[in-house]
Amino acid sequence: MALPTTLKAKWFWYSLVCVLCWGGWAILEKMASTEIPEGTVQFLFTFGALPVAFVLLAARHFKLEKSPKGILFGLGNGVLAGVGNAALAGAYRSGGSTSVITAATAMYPMITVLLAVTLLRERLTNLHKLGLGFAAAAFILFSV
Amino acid sequence: MPAALVLLTWGTVGLLQKLSTNYLSAESALIWLVAGYVLLSPWLYSGHSIFAYSTRSLVFTLISAVLNTLGAWALLAAMKNGGKASIVVPLTALYPLVVVVSAPVILHESISPLQGVGILCALTSVVLLST
Repeated sequence: MALPTTLKAKWFWYSLVCVLCWGGWAILEKMASTEIPEGTVQFLFTFGALPVAFVLLAARHFKLEKSPKGILFGLGNGVLAGVGNAALAGAYRSGGSTSVITAATAMYPMITVLLAVTLLRERLTNLHKLGLGFAAAAFILFSV
Repeated sequence: MPAALVLLTWGTVGLLQKLSTNYLSAESALIWLVAGYVLLSPWLYSGHSIFAYSTRSLVFTLISAVLNTLGAWALLAAMKNGGKASIVVPLTALYPLVVVVSAPVILHESISPLQGVGILCALTSVVLLST
């Protein structure tokens, strides 16, 4: 198992930062959505995201790549992520268990993997397939 | 129904994240993601004053957005630094672990034994997907 190699990989640590940030986001969104409607949550969400985008833009000296395809994918990414986030706030407002809702909606990589394998022709090793199986089992157990 | 919409939209987002970082830096991809949020905003604004809500809820929403955006940047950076979409996306989708662990303390929600087994499965999958 190449775990030590993985621990030296930047992508792994970036992924862990992502997990911690998104855990905090889910908890806070649940707490906010008990009062604020889902559409308004996402509307306000934009204002919270703008400062981060501005800092990143400043870090790049206000220069962005001019790839039309990249811009189109990025915009589509934002629109779909926003719709999904509003729907998540709606699910939280329904009053169900936060852990269950968060785990159930986190099953989305199954769709991503399906798309990545079929459209991007990415290949999975047997260990990766086993890992996906454990992830699926975890998501299901979280949702019981 | 809202949960199914989350699955479909975010499942597609995972693919678009990879595609966007094929053409853009992680930072640029995230800036355009936020621009996508802005495009969506007119359809979401209800017309009611946001100051009708408590400061607590407004602050929570804004901080959650900052954390979400930082997380999205970290995800895009992971992909830009050699992570495969089919590995990084499932790995980062294990953020419910943070919720399951902290919900009993913060939200006063309990964890069932099955959810405990789920945590073990999730940790196992993190190791396997990271190799």
